[in-house]
Parts: sequence; C-alpha cells; structure tokens
Amino acid sequence: MPLDTSTYALAHLRLDGRRWNELRRLHASLSVQSSSDGSAYLEQGNTKILATVSGPQEPVRRTGRDGSSEAKIEVEVNVTPFSGTDRKRRAKGEKRVQELQLTVARAFQGVVLGHLYPHSVVEVRLHVLSQDGSLLAACLNAATLALIDAGIPMTDYIAACTVASSPSSDQSIDDSDPLLDLNGLEEQELPFLSIATSGEEGKVCVLMMETKVQMARLEAMVSVGLDGCGQIRGILDEVVRQHGKRVLEAKVG
Amino acid sequence: MTSLKRSHASTAPTTTLSSKTYLRTLKSGKVQKIVRELYLRQDIPCSSQLCTACLDLAPPSFHRKTEPFVLSATPAATKQYPQGHYLVPDTNAFLSAMDLFETEGAAFQDVIVLQTVLEEVKNRSLPLYNRLIALTKNEGKRFYVFFNDFRLETYVQRDAGETINDRNDRAVRKACAWYAEHLRQAVTARQSARYPAVIMISNDKDSLRKANAEDIEASNLESYVKGLPDADRLLDMVASSREQRLARETKAETLYPEYLSMSAMLTGVKNGTLHQGIFNVSPYNYLEGTVHVPAFDRALIVQGRENSNRAVSGDIVVIEVLPKDQWKAPSSKVIEEEDLGKNENAEVDEDSSEAIVTERERRALQEEVRRAHGQVAEGKKQPTAKVVGIIKRNWRQYVGHVDKDSVRTRTKDSRAQQTVFLVPMDKRIPKIRVRTRQAAGLLGQRVLVTIDTWDRESRYPVGHFIRSLGELETKGAETEALLLEWDVQYRPFPRTVLDCLPPEGHEWEVPKSVDDPGWTGRRDLTDLLICSIDPPGCVDIDDALHARLLPNGNFEVGVHIADVSHFVKPNNAMDKEASLRGTTVYLVDKRIDMLPMLLGTDLCSLKPYIERYAFSVIWELDKNADIVSSTFTKSVIRSREAFSYEAAQLRIDDKSQQDDLTKGMRHLMMLSKRLRAKRMAAGALNLASPEVRVQTESETSDPVDVQTKQLLDTNQLVEEFMLLANISVASKIYEAFPQTALLRRHAAPPKTNFEELGNQLKVKKGMELHTDSSKAVADSLDKCVDQSEPFFNTLVRILATRCMMSAEYFCSGTQAPSEFRHYGLASEIYTHFTSPIRRYADLEAHRQLAAAIDYEPLDASLQSKSKIEAVCKNINVRHRNAQMAGRASVEYYVGQALKGRVLEEDGFIMRIFSNGFVVFVPRFGIEGLIRLRDLPEEVGREQDSVFDSEDYSLTLRGGKVERKVELFQKVTVKISDEAEESTGKRKIKLQLTK
Ligand SMILES: [Zn+2]
Repeated sequence: MPLDTSTYALAHLRLDGRRWNELRRLHASLSVQSSSDGSAYLEQGNTKILATVSGPQEPVRRTGRDGSSEAKIEVEVNVTPFSGTDRKRRAKGEKRVQELQLTVARAFQGVVLGHLYPHSVVEVRLHVLSQDGSLLAACLNAATLALIDAGIPMTDYIAACTVASSPSSDQSIDDSDPLLDLNGLEEQELPFLSIATSGEEGKVCVLMMETKVQMARLEAMVSVGLDGCGQIRGILDEVVRQHGKRVLEAKVG
Repeated sequence: MTSLKRSHASTAPTTTLSSKTYLRTLKSGKVQKIVRELYLRQDIPCSSQLCTACLDLAPPSFHRKTEPFVLSATPAATKQYPQGHYLVPDTNAFLSAMDLFETEGAAFQDVIVLQTVLEEVKNRSLPLYNRLIALTKNEGKRFYVFFNDFRLETYVQRDAGETINDRNDRAVRKACAWYAEHLRQAVTARQSARYPAVIMISNDKDSLRKANAEDIEASNLESYVKGLPDADRLLDMVASSREQRLARETKAETLYPEYLSMSAMLTGVKNGTLHQGIFNVSPYNYLEGTVHVPAFDRALIVQGRENSNRAVSGDIVVIEVLPKDQWKAPSSKVIEEEDLGKNENAEVDEDSSEAIVTERERRALQEEVRRAHGQVAEGKKQPTAKVVGIIKRNWRQYVGHVDKDSVRTRTKDSRAQQTVFLVPMDKRIPKIRVRTRQAAGLLGQRVLVTIDTWDRESRYPVGHFIRSLGELETKGAETEALLLEWDVQYRPFPRTVLDCLPPEGHEWEVPKSVDDPGWTGRRDLTDLLICSIDPPGCVDIDDALHARLLPNGNFEVGVHIADVSHFVKPNNAMDKEASLRGTTVYLVDKRIDMLPMLLGTDLCSLKPYIERYAFSVIWELDKNADIVSSTFTKSVIRSREAFSYEAAQLRIDDKSQQDDLTKGMRHLMMLSKRLRAKRMAAGALNLASPEVRVQTESETSDPVDVQTKQLLDTNQLVEEFMLLANISVASKIYEAFPQTALLRRHAAPPKTNFEELGNQLKVKKGMELHTDSSKAVADSLDKCVDQSEPFFNTLVRILATRCMMSAEYFCSGTQAPSEFRHYGLASEIYTHFTSPIRRYADLEAHRQLAAAIDYEPLDASLQSKSKIEAVCKNINVRHRNAQMAGRASVEYYVGQALKGRVLEEDGFIMRIFSNGFVVFVPRFGIEGLIRLRDLPEEVGREQDSVFDSEDYSLTLRGGKVERKVELFQKVTVKISDEAEESTGKRKIKLQLTK
C-alpha cells in the first residue's frame, strides 16, 4: 500500500513528487505514421496516445440525410487491452469510450473550419497505448496535433488538462490546493475536472466533471485549469513549430 | 475572480524525471508491471531552524502558505550527544515502539520521519501509521516528514537483485548521511561549530553495521534510551517492544489448509474417521470453537485460527479429531479479537502474502497451553479437532460497524477505494474485509454487510457492504439492526396477505344465526363463565379458562384457545407469510406480528364481553387433578373478564368475592397447585432465566426504569393449564397421525453438560448435583441453598439452565417414541397448542387437532412428513431468533435506561477465567465481564494476580491489599455505561468496588 493523496498536506508534494501547479512531462511528435493523412504521438506522463487522421474524404457510410454543408468529425477511440495495469479487453461500445468519442468530436466540430469541406468526413482515430490519468485531455491534445499534421484548417489549437482538488489537511479550514494534470492514482482518489480551451484568449470548449466537489473549490480549480491549458498550448505550439522547422530544413537541405 | 489574476508558475525546471517500476503479484497469480513517474527535486527543505539555505526553497502552495520549519535549532542534548541531536528512526523502530515515540515530555522530540519509513509503516500497520501521522501534527513533538524519495540527492534506485527491504534501509542511511552533511554546511555558514548529530535508530544489526561502516551515527533503541534522563521508565517500554519484535521474527503460516473434497468428507463421515457438526464459537474467546458430534459425549474443541480453518460460527463443518497428545482443556481465558487484532491492516499488501495466524494470537493460545500443563488435571482435557472441510456455509447478512482505525482516508470527499474492516455486532463472527469507496461516510454508522468468500490466503473473510441503517446508537438504527441480525421479517404485510382477511374487517362478528356455516360443528359455550388472565396490557389474548364443580364432586375445566385456523386457511398468502415468520417477536417497545393486527388483536383475540370462535379442550378432573376424561371441540365462547395476573390474584384472594366466576377461578387455582405438585414430583425442572422488564414512558418510549419480572401464583395457574392442554392435544394428534404429528421435545442433556457445574458446586459449596434424571436434577437443585444468600439458589438454576439442551419442534415420524420426551417438563409427549396467534406451530397443531376430531379434513401439507419437517426446521430457527432479538432489545434498553448513571449493586460471580471473571447483577438481569487488566490500580494488577483453576478463584495482587475473588462470591459492583468500541453497542460496564 503506497502512500496516498492524503499525504499531500504534509509537505505539499504529490504522489509523484510534483508540486500543485506542475504539469507532467509532455512529449509529442508529428507525422509518426506515413500511411494516414496526419498523425501524432503524444505522451503526457505515462498516458500515451497515437492519433491518426484521414480526410477530409467522402463518408463511407451514407446516412439518410446528408445535406450537411459542413465536414463531419468522426472520432474513434481504441483503448488497447495492454494500456491499463490489468490487461483487459474493452468493448468498442463501452459507455465510457462512447462518451469519450463524442466529447472529442464535439470539441473539434467547433474549431475545425468544416464549411470548407461540405458533405465530407474527417476521421480521427485515437489509440490509447497506455493510461495513467487525464485520458480525455491527452486525447484532445493528441487529436489537435494530428489534425494540424493532416492540414485540416482550424481556428486554433485545442489544449486540455485536468485539475483536481487536494484533500484538506484538517476539517476546520479549507486549505485545499488545486492540483494540475493528474496521474492515474490521483484521478482515482480525488474529485477532478477536465478542461480544454481554444485560442490564446483561452475560450473554454470542454469542461467535464464526473465527481462531486465543494462548490467553493471550483473557481480555483477552473482558474488553475485555464492556466494549465495555456501552458499546454505553448508546449503543443512549440512541438508544431519544431516539426515545421525540421520539415522545411529537410526540404531545403 | 481574483484568483484568475494569480500567476501559476510552470513546470519547475528544477525537477529531474525518474521512474519507479515494480511488479505486483495479484491474488489471482497475475503479475502486473506498474510504472510510475517520479519527479525528483531539490526544493524540499531540511526543515531545521539552523538552516538558512532552505528557508526560501519550497515554493508556496496555492494558498501562498509556506510551512514553518519544524526541527529545533537547539535540540535536546544527551550524555552520548552533548551537542544535541535529531533522530531518524527506521520502520521497525516505529512499528515496535510507537508508545515510546508518543511519550510526553522532553524525550523523543526532533524526529525526522522519512518518506520511505512512513510508507513502510503504512504497509505494515494502518493504525500505527495513523498514530505516526498524528505525531507529525503534534507541534510540541517536532516530527518532520522528509520526502527523501523525491529529493534528488537522497533518492535511491533499487539495484538489480536488491530486495525492497535492503533498498529501503539504504535509502534511510543515505538520508541520514545527507542530513548530517547538510547540517554541517548550514552551521558552518553561520560560523558556529556545534551542529546536532543525526542519529539513525534501528534494531536491525545488519543495518547498524552498515551505518557504522558508512560513518553514520546510529544506535539501537535500547542503548539510545539508556542515555536519556528518564531511562528507567522508558526502558520498560523498550523491553515489551523487543518481545514483540522477537515474536514477529518467527515464521508464520501463510495459508489456511486446503479443504477436503466433498466426496472425501462424506466417505470420511460415513466410515467414522471424520465427524460432521455445527461450528460454534465461544463468546468469550474468538479463537476457540466447539462442535457437537454424535460420536462424542463432550463437545469437540477447535482451537486457533489454523484448526478452525475459515469456519464461521454456524457453519456445518467436517472435523478430524487430533491425536490425544494434542488435546486441550477448554480455554480459561478471555480472548477478544479487538485486543489482538487492533493494529492489523484491512488493505492486503499486494507484495507479500499475509500471515494467517498472527504471532499475538499464537502467543495468546500458547500461554493457555502452559497453564493447561501446569494446573489443569488431565481429566479436563477434551477431544480436540481441526476443521477439514465445510459442508454448508451458514453465512447471512451481518450488522456491524466500520472499524475506524482501518479507514485510510477519512476525508468525506475522497473517492479512493479502500479496504476496511467491518466489525460485526456478533462477537463470534470474525472481522470482515470490505472494499468500498464510501468508507469515510460509513464511519459511525450501523451497516449491513455479507460475507462473499474466505480464501486460503486471507486471514479474514471478504464481503461487501449492503446498506447503512443509520447512525450508531440511534433507536431506529439499533432496532433495525437487531431485527436484521436475528433475521426477523419486519416489513409491513403485503397486499396479498391483507386480502386474505375477512372483508368485514373490524365489523366481523360471530354469526347470530346458528344455521350459519360458521356454526357447523361448533359447540355453544357462551353460557360458561370464562375469563382470561394475561400480562397487563395484553391485546393478543390467545387463551381463556373456566372451571366449575360438577354434581359428582369432580371438576369441569376448560381451556379455550383462539380459533386462528378458522381465519388462516392452509397455503394461502397469509398462511405462507405466517409460516415464514414462524412467531411473533416481542421487543421492548415494539411487537412484530406473525399475523396481521386485525386477527391478532381483534377477531381472534378472546376479548371479554363479546362472542369469539375458540378451540376448546375440556376435561373432567377429579379432586387430585387427575384426568377423568377429555374432549376437544370447536366452540363459541364469551369471556366474562380479561384479568391481568395481578388483578386475578387480588380477585381470588379477596374473600368478599363469592360470585361463580371467582369461585371458578379458585377451583382453577386449587387444581393448578395439584397439577404443579404432581409435575414437580415427576421431576419437572423449575429453571430460572433472568428476566427483566423495562419500564418505558409510553409517549416517548424512552426507558425510565428496569425491573426484574415478578411471578405470581396466577402466572403459574395459567401455565399449568396451558401445559395440560398442550400435553392432551399432543397425545390426541399423535394418536390420530402417528407419522406426521407436529410435536415438541426436549432432549435430556448429556451428563457431561453438568460436569463442570457439579464440580464447581462441590468445590466451592460442598454440594452435590445429581444428574441421573430430571427428577434427580430437580431435587438436588432444591438442596442447593445457601442460608445466608437467598439468591444463590436462583443463580445455580440460571447456570443449570445453560447446561440444558434447547427444546425443539419435530415431526413425530422422524423420531422413535422414546425420544419424544420433554425433559424439562417431565412429560412423555408435548406440543404447542395454546398460542396460535403468535406461534405458527400452534396453528399447525390446531389444524391437526381439527382433523383428528373430524371437524374438517386435513390439508395435504399436514400429511407429508417432509413438509412438516421443513416447517419444524424453520420455526425452530425463528423461535430461537425471536428470543435472541427480544433479549437483545432488553439489553439495549437496559443500557439506555442506565445511560449516564452510575450505580452500585450487588452481583454474583458466575464464571471465572484466568484473566477476568463474569458478574451477574440480579437487579437488572445483566451479566458483565470484568477483565483483570481493567481493574483499578488499588485493587490489583493483571500480571501479579494468580488464577487457580481447581479452586475457581483468582487472587488479586498488586493492589493495596491482596484479595481473593471466587466463583459464586457476592461482590459489589459499580455499574456505568459506555459505548463498546468493538461492537458499537452501548453496553453496561461493571467495575469491582469492594
Ligand atoms: Zn537546509
């Protein structure tokens, strides 16, 4: 039985040695899979996602009413059996996975300039290779990179992260800290929310909370979350720029 | 939105990433590889007030708080360390001597608790971990938790082939070395020469040796304590901790033995090498169980966790008798789970399997063996067995509460799933491991759980939480708890049952016209002067009586019983519900009916002044109360009066009353005394069980007082005629249905049951208990009189009652006629007929009797042996449960009545153990355990006291005067109440005063 989140109050150190406002190591690269139109590999701590994008293309399944004048974003999340600690095959139709797909699709529907490609579909496939918390946030971040790699026009990046609320050190005063970017253990033990923003101004496009938290703590959590998204956006931007630079250098060279 | 303006520093550039990989082996045998990130940093301060370098090191928290430094700039000096010192204890130091670290005063201050150590302590014992956390919050103690595994300089990577323990020991040494160097630099910076020593405390020789080699100051606990000013007092604590450590080092079993296959068990039982029986755990010693098997007179003893092999009290087990040299005497000691198991972890350590038998338990039992060799005669040894398999689990839902020490995270909003211990109310049931996400919310609640499994590798069974009944000690929760605990069906009657009631409802009455089919086969007995005699306030009147003098000088006596079978037809919904409930359950403030109120308290109830259907037994008795003839008939009666016992007694005693009703009652009184005398002469037992009544104020139903129930002659009057009716009916239905009559028997107790009591009476009082027959028992009980102590006889009767078997319902075809006998009543045959409103057995007897007198045909269900057997089995259980629930209810209310009061009362010692004794307080009908370790200091100390098992006495020493307490002794006890930690029940606490 390792220590748990209740020890945070002892020295304001989290289970993996981070402080409250520190992100985990974020590493990403673009164009990792040449067979698709765009792809990205992203690690946020030990949460690892491979994202691929195909399209815009004609929809494979023609649904009855396809009069939409906008490109449709279709998201498929594939949680690999070896991604968790217990090797377990997850059904495609599992509710959590479906919800994840829907949330990602809705978020990008808002930033992709879909009207440029009417009657078409952009397929985003997210392969979860390893899970260690902040799954939705990592999926959103990976999808942003893959869409950029595929050259799909978007108004801006979507950058996402999670925020939890640490246990209070005693019952009388609430000195709980918001904790940025949760790993799997923290996510199991603490109330948390996932937040995603687009653009430099930090417009919130996803805010998801499945656990209960004291109302008074919410404001601080959102505020720290917004800041976290800003940091992530900076990191993603840097990844894209570095990649662009390398591509250019390769062409010129 | 002020917080929005706050700047949030980005990922600190000061961290270095490392990762921690470890393998975790699951119960299922699967191996999980867990990879965790670790962010190593240099901004974790040393927290010494000597250091200026660390002052601004730690970044502030979200709330801009920085933690003040904990460790003193001038820590205490000792002989060995005149410059002052900080302590760095290793894991075992905390595990073995937490008391020492908790000492008040100047010792054990300025302690550095390493993260490595904290984590290990948590792994080993959650309660000790919680105590350690409490210490870190105690400002005076100056305990600082240093997260050495997150600090770059002190982080230690586990080498290939290195055990976790070795790695951790190395981490402790590395942290010590870092601290020593860090402090030296800090002090040098201040240009001072004296810097405190950093001393590693460990009892591990190897670790101490390595520390020495690495130039780290280290000491074992004992030699460190020797250097302290208050060494003598503290050394005491070290000694006891060393003992504990030795105990831990001996190898413990890690798995329960495997069960035999079902076929192996059955073959074994068939050819006599194995035995089958019900496993019963002693209420005084959770490590000892007994199993009665036909092949042995005495119960077989099953001692210790390994031998009882996961059997839970109530399970049907198969046992193997151990070789004679391993036989044991029954435990003479109180052993309670809460004492021995209090530092255990509910959470199973995934890295290593837990020991099945803890060392403390092993030692608790070993002491027993030592005593057994020294003082107990060989004759006291009893056949001892071990459980080799389970035929049938008798697991049910258990009511209990969450052990607060087993809860890891107590914050209400924590969602962490954790394993906690659930402590059942029933002390004979082991703690249950329950996995839950709502542990914090369940603290302080009465909860309902079940056991799911008990695997070989788990010391305790595993179950799951069902629901919460409400807060501990609230009346609603406690009442529901005891109903659930005794499996009493207390939900309101469903619609389908109520639909079986007569449509007229309360308007129903006996038809006016005798041509009505209701009158068919009924005798009109409305002319008879019938009355009922019951406890005061009784509304469900089952029985009424009459007597009159016949012209020939004999008496006609009638017992009239509510004709419930007229209203409850076999196999309808109401009958099924009643057969399931089996009996009405009486709690102090509540009655849970077997039949709907309309029947029980109105239509069937033999209320006075109105006509009611009855089932009558009418005898002609001569002056000696011998039966001349008996008749059974369905009837219509009209009771003239409903007396309470007291009112009836007054009426009979009042010479001025000369009316026929009173005369009839006097005949009844006279005849009942004859009947009683004859019964006693035949060897019926007059046994005693402590019965108390709780007086409640009706509106609030808060208990106000407790009284012992009083018995009047009229109680016995009613009882005698009910017995007579039951016996007559039993003969009649047995005659009519020799294979399927529903009867009640009370087996003669095996002689060995009385051995202990007989010996106690002989040794302590020089009295003889003869047990050849119930008559002999009855006679010798009459002689057990202590002139100076009138209560002594009752005490002996209470103890004798506990040696008896319990009476049971059975189907006549399943037993030989010689087995029908009712031992306690000294009757050859017996059944229950007189309380059909509140007992299902009586209702069945009514149906059989009605068929026997050709009133109506017998329903098919009452002709099948197997069906009657099934009914008997159920009502036997229900009957017993109802008694237990009633008792538990009284116990609860007595506790409530005594709440906040402190009384002194006389009590009698009724049982004696080597480490305590049981006192019975007649006034409240309560018995309580007084443990030697709870004795006030002036009375005596446990370790100095001497137990003499031959003499049933304890000599209390160590107090002001030496004092002997012995069995049957009258003592004065102080009664107070307290909420019992282990069961969460408010219980009465007894203390010896003089
Ligand atoms: Zn320092």
